[in-house]
Amino acid sequence: MDIAPYALQLFSGLSRAMVLFLLSAGLSLIFGVMNILNFAHATLWLVSGYVTYSMFTFLSQQFGASPWMLLPSIVGAVALMSLLGFALERFLIRHTYARELPEQLLLTFALVLILGDAIKLIWGVENRRINLGVKPIEMMDTLVNPYQFVIIGAGVAVAVGLWYFLHRTRFGKIVRAAVFSRSMVSALGIPIPLIYSGVFALGVGLAAFAGGVFLPLLPMSLGVDHDIIVQCFAVVVIGGFGSMLGTFVASIIVGVVYSFSILFWPDGALAMIFLILIVVLIWRPWGLFGTELRY
Amino acid sequence: MAAILEVTGLHKHFGGIHVTQDVNFSMEEGEQSAIIGPNGAGKSTFMNLLTGYYRCDAGKVVFEGQDITNRPPHWVARRGISRAFQISSIFSKMTVAENVRSAVHAQMRHSFSIFGVASRIGVEETGRVLSLCGLEGKRDLVAGELAQGDKKRLELAIALAGKPRLLFLDEPTAGMSIEEARSTMELVDRLNRELQLTVLFTEHDMGIVFNHARKLTLMHRGEIVVQGTPEEVRANEIAQKVYLGEHHP
Amino acid sequence: MKSAAPQRAANAPGRRFAVVLLALFLLVPLLPGEFWTVVGTEILILGLLAMSFNLLYGYMGQISFGHAAFFGLGAYATAMLFTALKSPDGSIGVPEFLLSLLVGPPVAAVGALIVGFFCVRLTGIYFAMLSLAFGELLFYIVFSWYSFTKGDDGIQGLLPPHYFQDPGNYYYLTLAIVVVALLVMWRITESPFGYIMRTLRDNQRRAAFLGINVRLHMLANFVIAGAFAGLAGALWGPFSRSVSPGLLGWQESGIAVFMTLIGGAGVFIGPIVGSVIYTMLQAVVKMYTVYWPLTIGTIILLIVLFVPGGVLGLVEKQIKARQGRLSDGGGARAGSDEE
Repeated sequence: MDIAPYALQLFSGLSRAMVLFLLSAGLSLIFGVMNILNFAHATLWLVSGYVTYSMFTFLSQQFGASPWMLLPSIVGAVALMSLLGFALERFLIRHTYARELPEQLLLTFALVLILGDAIKLIWGVENRRINLGVKPIEMMDTLVNPYQFVIIGAGVAVAVGLWYFLHRTRFGKIVRAAVFSRSMVSALGIPIPLIYSGVFALGVGLAAFAGGVFLPLLPMSLGVDHDIIVQCFAVVVIGGFGSMLGTFVASIIVGVVYSFSILFWPDGALAMIFLILIVVLIWRPWGLFGTELRY
Repeated sequence: MAAILEVTGLHKHFGGIHVTQDVNFSMEEGEQSAIIGPNGAGKSTFMNLLTGYYRCDAGKVVFEGQDITNRPPHWVARRGISRAFQISSIFSKMTVAENVRSAVHAQMRHSFSIFGVASRIGVEETGRVLSLCGLEGKRDLVAGELAQGDKKRLELAIALAGKPRLLFLDEPTAGMSIEEARSTMELVDRLNRELQLTVLFTEHDMGIVFNHARKLTLMHRGEIVVQGTPEEVRANEIAQKVYLGEHHP
Repeated sequence: MKSAAPQRAANAPGRRFAVVLLALFLLVPLLPGEFWTVVGTEILILGLLAMSFNLLYGYMGQISFGHAAFFGLGAYATAMLFTALKSPDGSIGVPEFLLSLLVGPPVAAVGALIVGFFCVRLTGIYFAMLSLAFGELLFYIVFSWYSFTKGDDGIQGLLPPHYFQDPGNYYYLTLAIVVVALLVMWRITESPFGYIMRTLRDNQRRAAFLGINVRLHMLANFVIAGAFAGLAGALWGPFSRSVSPGLLGWQESGIAVFMTLIGGAGVFIGPIVGSVIYTMLQAVVKMYTVYWPLTIGTIILLIVLFVPGGVLGLVEKQIKARQGRLSDGGGARAGSDEE
């Protein structure tokens, strides 16, 4: 048996999984803490890709082209997008906490439409991508883009960092407590509004990081956010709302299943993901790693 | 008189915690009795087990000679067991009259009628229940905007609209003023006396318990500690230790 | 006391408004040119879709992100029968045309029965997710099953009989069908079943303890809503002369959600008013700019922030406030003070 095509799909599936994880982790945190399902999460990811692109282009013009220019570009994009996330929470999202689910969804969906057109206004309709000029390397009888390992590495590093943050730092512990019980956190005398803005900014920051890191691999184009967001919803539900481990595992399942389905049923790769989602929702609505109590 | 409810060997545990342990309990037709016990004694769990909201791990519940163990709540309700909740559980966006009317429709098996006109079905029964609970004057108010005491009365009205033969009341007077509590319990007494409605209620207020229950069951840590007339329970040593002591220091 | 009187008074403006709306709809084809007639047809069809969505959302309290799947199923069922019945030269007789319209709702209802069987086990966000997943699954099945559905190409050439090719005539056909459908929906929402739906929206657990089989009732409503969505879908194919997989997708479901929330989910005709606003606005804005998403996004943002309950919800509040002032009292606070 020739394993080359499978190895290729596995690596692309894993790098896809990392992007899904970076997005879904933020989505899940935001939902866990504020009970808001952020439809605009993938759109913010897309915006960040464009921002990174612009920064990269600018830096390359100023200081000469180099793949290393991607690093400051990503840092800049993450900072900028986190600020945007902070502002969005403070000026828009906050007004819907007392509202019903559909209205909250509608507000964030309005952001999808607005940000999508904003991209069109600022960057036009052409796809944007960065060519780092990395040479493919030979592995298992096939050529693999080594940058995929950078993405997988970055994804795992962020996952570990996020775990450390949530379990070992004061702010992280407060965030976890807020997922568990909001009244408890307010009883601790911690200003809830700040936690909310902070978590939203963190979530958007993670998405922004994913947008930047993924840029050399996949061109940013209008409308991909629509596809990605439903996959992220699938990841969050499959893993279980509020469970980071679940989100990580579900990202890998969804990413890898997607890439392998492309081999067998190119048009229906996403259908496979929805099939998994349906099975999980029927069998364990609270997800693979969620707790039944929350349901 | 025949037993209307017969519970034998009821068990329930959540994880490792036994919330109901070997409960044997029975009620006779026309009885009015109360379950008392400290918070977390398993009173609400017991009611949830009897009405099919929780599944029992072991044991048997027989109502009017029919085995109702682990039947779903709607099935149990249709057999004639109704309940009112501690935290008023009403249809908050509907008017008071609509709340009661839909309960009446459910009882009349009209819930699947899609072309009947709701406002013309079960009008009399709705009016009867509303006036019984003193809510006619508030029939067109939105239920969610009612005062706390009125919500509890509506809660009772909804439970009564099902024409039950056995009624469970979980803290029927919680959150009511003394005056409201008195009139509510008088209504319960009247229902029991005039309509032969069998009533089982939980209550924290010992004054109400001793005035309105003819039989008491004291629960503690999921077990029945003592059962009997109010006088017997009052005189019981264990009862004084685990519960009554808290209230009469 | 003033038993059912206040309710009837509250209903009166609604009824008057519905009559005025119907009169305006009847006049649309008299406008010069075909543009508004075509827009009017779209308003009616998408309005019917939104109305059927609101049977689930406004009355049963569950939000479905896969509702357009039944719209699409109805559209494809009609399109396929239409294609099978039309003669080789592409024309179709009136009876065959009407027959192909009739097949939409039952096919959609069967789809809704299967999907609903699973969805009604869940509520809230989980209901929304499962309906989304089923909708997307159906979308991809239609999208990739080329031999049966023609996949991405869609089914073309759905030219209605000669008489109904005239936009005015097709408009009146649509209006007649939609009005009848809305009258049936009105009866359903005012029936005991309709009020049982409201109890499920407000408090499922309580309804169960009244003897209501919650899942069975939700399923029945899911099927009814699916059938009406299928009717809207049936009308869509011959109107746009083609059907495509996009009709089943979640963006299409999203349109029904928008319309409902713009118009007001708490008022019976809210969704259709939402459709009037949404579709007309889209028709006008698209003449001037390609930035339609930006426009509608901003409008939705403003509605969510400042007009919760939708346009009709706001109107209703105003009317109630005025009635309250007229009859002086009857508010919850005044009521409890009597005690």
